This record gives sequence, C-alpha cells and structure tokens, in this order.
Amino acid sequence: MQSRDDASLAHSVQSLPAAAPAAMRPLRKSLVGDTHPLADSEASLPRRPANPATAASLFRSTLTPPGSRSASPAPSIARSPSRALAGSVFGGGSGGFHQSLVDTDAADSPGDPLNLILKSFVPHIAIHGSADVDALVADKGVRGGLWELLRPFGERVQGKVAIRDSNGGSRTWDDFAVRFTRFGDGVEEPEPGAGGVRGLPAAAAASNGLETAARDGGLIAQVETVVDRHLRYAEDSYMGITSPPTPTRQALDTDATSPYYALYLRRLLSGMPVACHESFAHPVACVIAISSRNPSPIEALRKLYAETTQGEKKLPVWVDGEYLRYYVLVHDEEGSDITKSMALFDQMKRHFGLHCHLLRVRSSESAETDDDSIPLPRSDWMTAAEELADIEKSDSHEDFEDPTNRYIFESDATAIRTFIREMVIQSVIPTMERNVSVWNDQVASRRRGISGRFMSLSKRFTFGGSSRGSGVGVGPTNNYDALGFYRPDTQEAIMRRLADFAFMLRDWKLAMSTYDLLRTDFQNDKAWKYHAAANEMAALALLIMPQNMSSKTRLETINQMLEQAFYSYHTRCNSLYGAIRCIILALELLRLRGGSGIDEAVRWGTRVLEARLIGPVGDALLKERMAICYASQQGVGSQSWGSRRRKSALWSVLGAEAWIAQSKFIQAQRCLNEARKMYSLLPGECGVQNFGAASDFLARLNEQLKEGLRIEFPARGDGGGSEDGSEEEEEEEVDEESETLNEGRSRRSSVIPPGAGGGGSLETAPLTALAPARLSDIEDEGDRTPPGKDGFG
Amino acid sequence: MSYYFAIIGTQDNPLFEHEFGTSKQGGDGQPRFTEPARHLNQFILHSSLDIVEEVQWTGSQLYFKAIDKFFTSYISLFLTPSNTKFLLLHQPSIPTSSSSATTSAPGGSTTTTPLRVSSTSIGANPTSAATEEAVRSFFVEVYENWTKAVMSPFYRVGMEVRSPVFRARVAAAGRKYL
Repeated sequence: MQSRDDASLAHSVQSLPAAAPAAMRPLRKSLVGDTHPLADSEASLPRRPANPATAASLFRSTLTPPGSRSASPAPSIARSPSRALAGSVFGGGSGGFHQSLVDTDAADSPGDPLNLILKSFVPHIAIHGSADVDALVADKGVRGGLWELLRPFGERVQGKVAIRDSNGGSRTWDDFAVRFTRFGDGVEEPEPGAGGVRGLPAAAAASNGLETAARDGGLIAQVETVVDRHLRYAEDSYMGITSPPTPTRQALDTDATSPYYALYLRRLLSGMPVACHESFAHPVACVIAISSRNPSPIEALRKLYAETTQGEKKLPVWVDGEYLRYYVLVHDEEGSDITKSMALFDQMKRHFGLHCHLLRVRSSESAETDDDSIPLPRSDWMTAAEELADIEKSDSHEDFEDPTNRYIFESDATAIRTFIREMVIQSVIPTMERNVSVWNDQVASRRRGISGRFMSLSKRFTFGGSSRGSGVGVGPTNNYDALGFYRPDTQEAIMRRLADFAFMLRDWKLAMSTYDLLRTDFQNDKAWKYHAAANEMAALALLIMPQNMSSKTRLETINQMLEQAFYSYHTRCNSLYGAIRCIILALELLRLRGGSGIDEAVRWGTRVLEARLIGPVGDALLKERMAICYASQQGVGSQSWGSRRRKSALWSVLGAEAWIAQSKFIQAQRCLNEARKMYSLLPGECGVQNFGAASDFLARLNEQLKEGLRIEFPARGDGGGSEDGSEEEEEEEVDEESETLNEGRSRRSSVIPPGAGGGGSLETAPLTALAPARLSDIEDEGDRTPPGKDGFG
Repeated sequence: MSYYFAIIGTQDNPLFEHEFGTSKQGGDGQPRFTEPARHLNQFILHSSLDIVEEVQWTGSQLYFKAIDKFFTSYISLFLTPSNTKFLLLHQPSIPTSSSSATTSAPGGSTTTTPLRVSSTSIGANPTSAATEEAVRSFFVEVYENWTKAVMSPFYRVGMEVRSPVFRARVAAAGRKYL
C-alpha cells in the first residue's frame, strides 16, 4: 500500500485542500472575533499587554509574528558543512580535524552555536560616562546611558577587521564584535583562600537593582525563566492567533538550531561575570566619556579617570588596572557650538594622546516618522536578568515603553558605527596585539622551552628563591594560596590574560599552547577554579583550531581536559555556571567535528543531564539538542551505515516526554515529528513498532499531545453558539498543518511514502468527521497498520 | 542488577524478549525495573542497533562485550548468523536516585531489595572482566538453545519465538550465569 501510485494519489489529494484553509483563515478570524469575545482564551489575554505587537517584539528572537513568517530570520538552512568530516569506522577518519572550525560555514549563520561562541568570547569594553553624557543620551530616548546606546552597535564592528597573530600573519574578519559593559558591573567575588567554593552572590555595585540575584545558580535560573517565558509566549500565541505554529515546520531540519536553544545559549553566555579565574569579562579598554555640555571638561575627564583607578567604583584587585583608557567627547549637535567642541577635542588630544574620539550626535529624540530615522537595534546580548525585567515590565504595565520601538537618526547611527570601528581598529586591537606579543615574549615563551619547564619544576621545590612575582606578600612558592586569587602582576595571571587575549583575537594556537601551560601550573597550585577554566578554554581552542593529529588522539586529549574541567568546576568548586557552560560549548564544537566527536558530544550531554545541573527547560532543550547531534551524523552508503537515526529518535522521544511534562505541546509536537521522521528513514521503516511497551508509550505520548493541543484549541470554540462551525474550522486548521508536514516531508526526500502514518497520525482522528474523500485513503492505511505503526511509520 | 534480554531480527523486530534479575548474591531472579524503565529499555535497546551496525564490522568475534551505555544501562551484543542479534541490557541496581526522577533516565531498581550487591559481584561493575565473561557464557548457552529452537520445522525466519521451553532455557541460563 505504500506503493508509488498510492503515494502520488495521496499527494494529489492532499494538495487539494491545502488551499482551502488559507481562504478560510480571514473568515475564521472575524468569526472568532465577533462571536466569542468572552471565550476562555480571550479571558486570559488581558494579562498580555494591550498591543500584542509590543509583546511580540520582546520575543522576537524566538518568534516572528505570524504575518511575517516567510521573512523570518530563521537560522540558515542550506548548509552542508563539516558533516563530511567523519571520523568513525565508516568515515575513514582522515579528513576530520584538518580544518579550523571557523572556516566552516557554521561560523557564519547567526543562530549557530559556533557563531555564538565566537561572538561571546569577545573583548569587553567598559563604559564610564559622566552624568551629562547620560543626560544627553536620555534626551535621545535611551534611558540606560551611553552604554545602552552603544551596545547594539558593538555586536558587529562595521567592515573588515585585520588581526595579526603571534607569527605576524594577518587575517581579516568581517564579523568581529566587542561587548560594551557598564563600568563596574557584574563583578563576582572569589572565595578567599579556599580555592573557590561557590561563586558568591555578586557584590555588584550595580546601579539598577537587577544584579543583586545570586550570580551563579541565579543566573541559570534566570536563563531558564527567560526561555520559559519565550516558550510560554509561543504557546499562548498559538492559542490566540489563527495561524498554526510554524516551529513544527522548520524543525524538520537538523541543521537549523532551535531558536529556543540558541536563546538559551546566548543568555547563558551573555551573563559572563567579571571573575578572577578568567579574564574574558575584564575590560580590555574603558571608554571615558563626557559631553560638550560639561562646563569643566578636562576636570571631569580627570575625575572619571581617577574613578577607574581608585575609589569605590574601582574594579577589584585581581583585575589588571593597566587597561586602555579611551576618551570620548560626545558633541551635542543641536545644543552646543562645534568650534568650541573642536577646540576642546584638540586639547584632549594634546592631553591624552591618540586614544580620543569626538562623537557627534543629535540630542533630540527621533520618532518613527522622521525622515532619516532607523530603529535602534535591540541588543542580542542582553543578560537574562535584563530581558526578564523587560518582559515583566511589559506584563505589568499597560503603558509599557517598548524597548524595541525606539528610533535614532541615521546620521547618529553612522557616527556611532564609525566611532566604534575607529576605536576597535586603531586602539583596542593594536593594544591587544601589543600586549599579546609583549607577554608572549617576556613571560610565556620563557616557559615553553626546556629551561622553562625546569623553572616551573624548581619553583615547585622552593629552591632558587623565585625572582618573579613582584613581592606582593605572597609566599615564594605559590602565588595563589595566600589570597585565593592571583594578583594581576603574577606570572600566571599574565599568562591567563595572554591566552584570553589570543582567544579573543582568534589566535587559537597561541591560546591553546598557553592554556596548556597554565593547566599544570594551576593544578600544582591547587587553584581549582583557575584550573577548570584553563582546561575548559584549552579544550575549546583545541576543538576550534585546525588539526593535524589523528582525530582519535585528539579526542582523547580533549576528553581529558573536559573531564578535568568538569570535575573541577562541578565537584571541587561547585560552580554550576562554569560546568554547564564548559560542557555545552564543548558539546557543540564536538558535534561540528563530526564522526566520533558526535558520540562524545552526546556522552558529555548525558553527563550534564546525569548530574542534574540544569532546570526542566534546559533539560528538555538539551535532550532535543542531543537528538539533533545524532541526527547530524551521516551514514555511509545506501544503508547509511554508521548513522545514528535510532539514537536520534530516542532522544527526540525523551525530549517530547520532557516537554509534555511541562505542557509545552508545540515543542513536544516538534520532537515527536522529528522522531517520526527519523524512524521512517530507517531501512525497515518500522521504528519501535514491534516493541510492545515502547510503541504503547509512543501512542500514549501522542494521545497526551493531542489532548494538550486540543485544550488549547477549542478554548476558543467552546464559548460560541455555532459549535459546529468553529469545530470544523479547528479541524481544518489542524488538518492543514498535517498536510504541510506531509508534503514538506515527501518533497524533502522521496524515500518516505507520504501517506505512511507520518505527520497525519496526530490529527487523523478529527479528520474523519470532516473529509470523507481523504478518509478512505487514510483509513485504508490505518486499518492495515497496527497502532504502533500509526504513530511511527 | 536487572537484565533485559532481547533477540532482534533483521528488520529491527524483536524475536524474543525476556526480563530477569540477578540470581547471584542471593538475588531472587526478579527484574527490578521501574514501570517507566520498561518502555525505556526497549527504546534504549532499539537505539543501540545504531551502534551494533557500526561495531559489527570492527572485529571477527561474535561476542562484543558492552558496546553501548545509556545513563546507567549497558548493552552487550552477541551476533549470530543470519543477522540476528542478541542484546542484553544490564543495569546495576546501585544508583537508585540519580537521574531517574527528572531526566527520566532508566532509574535504578526499586530500593526495596534488602540485599546490596557487594562491589566485587558482577552486578556492580558492568564492564569488569568477570561480568564480561559471565555475559559471554550466558550468550553462548542461549545461542545453543536458540539454534535448536529455530530448527523447529514450524519456525520461519523472522517469526517471533514463543516456545515456553526456549524461554525456560533462557531463564535457566540467566540463573546460572548472571
């Protein structure tokens, strides 16, 4: 019955009604709107802001409004990148590691985890502005000060950026980014002495009260909550909006990252605290800004500078104070005299040298209707806490000022982009390059040779009173013990900064070799959090950089590093955030490496699940992700030996179970569809149908899913008079979706017989009442197939 | 230690399934799978076929020891001619709480068993040499019985084996070795 004839017949029949719902949709919208204003779902709506578009914009990253679906920035789809890099029995294991991951396509698509990783370990630039700057920016309608105005523009530095690596070779990147932070934000105190027990609640001198939550566990919880809100919004809008959820449609592609997973990762990475054990979040530079409104500009600059070096806003001692200061004069085009500003700027240049910029912006607020206004982009890298605050505000206030609905003049945007580009290219990167080469020559290279090894050895046995290290009162043998952190002028701290800078400048090789040196140092000093972080970054750098060793030994090394990192983070330091970040990033990179890397990736994912580090949302997302990991393993030959379809399906089922337990039915549906697709790709095409308990379980899941979706659906139909009419439309709606699924799938690969259970199984039941023409078709199959088959043809 | 043994045919179809518990260390031979673990076991076993397809080419032997692991469950493989696979899922009964509740992993057995397996028993360490040897003996004995069972003139290839005699013999082999 799954013959071609049947298939094509089913296809042609199915293609017919697909047009009908489209025509019916407007009708239905009006119908619902008119007759059931008090239906259940509507009753819950007032909780949402008056203008649904406002809220939708908050959730833009995961959900695009139904009208613009086609133009949605869905993760890029047609990629066939590193999949070919197989390393398993079937892959030949040769090609796997020769290429740097950054050279694969994965680095370019915005939602891809590799891209997220590249964009999250970027130079941080602190912004310290005077009150008059903030006032000027507030006039423009940006409340958070200069920092908030600049932040979205730092996410992509305009144009190409050339970076020299340690060998003098130069390479250009066109997706370089910097992160702007508020000066003094997000500082995480180390545990004194004990080698770090648990990241203390932040002693953040944050001006907004957001940062008060406990940093470590709190951060994970916030990330969970944000993603959960996005999911709930998707569920809600599924209920409230006529269009069926598209996620089910786009989810069938394994190369596309689930928007929720991408969001989870992004929020996880954007909350990187300024901690002592890694210097990524330490400022590489600090922008010191005044405006032309300031009556005594030079004094103000001096004062701001002084605040960055002493006083209560000063960064903690473990942060190197020698970062670059960059002076910016913000000129108010409308309220100030340009000649005066120019004179002042010349004076600044004389005083402070080259690291100065005159930023000319207009001080009035731009409206949407203005000729040259462009929407102020919303930062992709806001922290979970900030996004949460936005969402909550939009929930509670009717007159919520939509943060996505702000505009600035195009001339301002251009000025800001130019400013950032100039600062990055002329000041920040050269400074970093210089630091890297100096530190590399003076500190790290001494350690690399034989004598360097000997030095570290002799250091351990205390003879040869070590001359390095500055005499800051730490013991001669160990720079760590006395304080619980390394002072910035110690050899270890400098090398760590060297490695981090190299990583941020994408010089993986230098970063990797430096991290590798540090690993042993930190282990000898029993500085466990440092040890964990060095291992983590060494593994990541090793995964990204091009390889020439055989993938097997390479994987073993990586596994060892990850093992140590995970153990140190999780068991020794109890650092939840570190452990999760380390494993999830490694998982993604391993996945991209393909071959046996995929098995390793899932093994690590299992470790995280086993240790129960993450909450329910992350748990389900991770399961979903593992299914995708396995799905991205491609087999060899017609039987596709060596693929992991059954495994992938298993994880999809687990994911669906997890989602259903949280009543996230759309996600669950996605997962089940995914599993169904995987099972249908198997040679036997029968999935688990012959296993009694398993297929029963699947049927039960399907049942629950159907139940769940139905709860959301008739909520609208119930209240109304024309029971029949709306019911029918519900069914039609569901129906349409299943059609699309079927069609999409059959087009995707002709291997799958379109009628074979597939997407239809969820919705076959309501179908029967409606469309007898197709009924016969489907019943035919339904009759002859056992119930398990129905679920997973 | 609980075991789930299945014989899988060429079309991923189970020809025979049997659950049992350890009889060593005073075990009563009853499986201690939780209710959700029942279906999960089948899923796990089915998903291990991916690994089977890969490792079956890597060696000339028929017995492949533990080829796969899913949380606390281990899968051992024995290949027979005609592409029928014996798969044994074994699950140590020690971890009772971890990963069972939230992750819906195959939770350990119920905690009611008063007898804790000692660390030297084959149950405690599924990858130890002793366990591997025991599983091999089990597989070999089942294989002999299987050969006899499928010799039956009424048996066609790919059919499920329902013979109570065969089931009894598998159970006996389980009692004897595991």
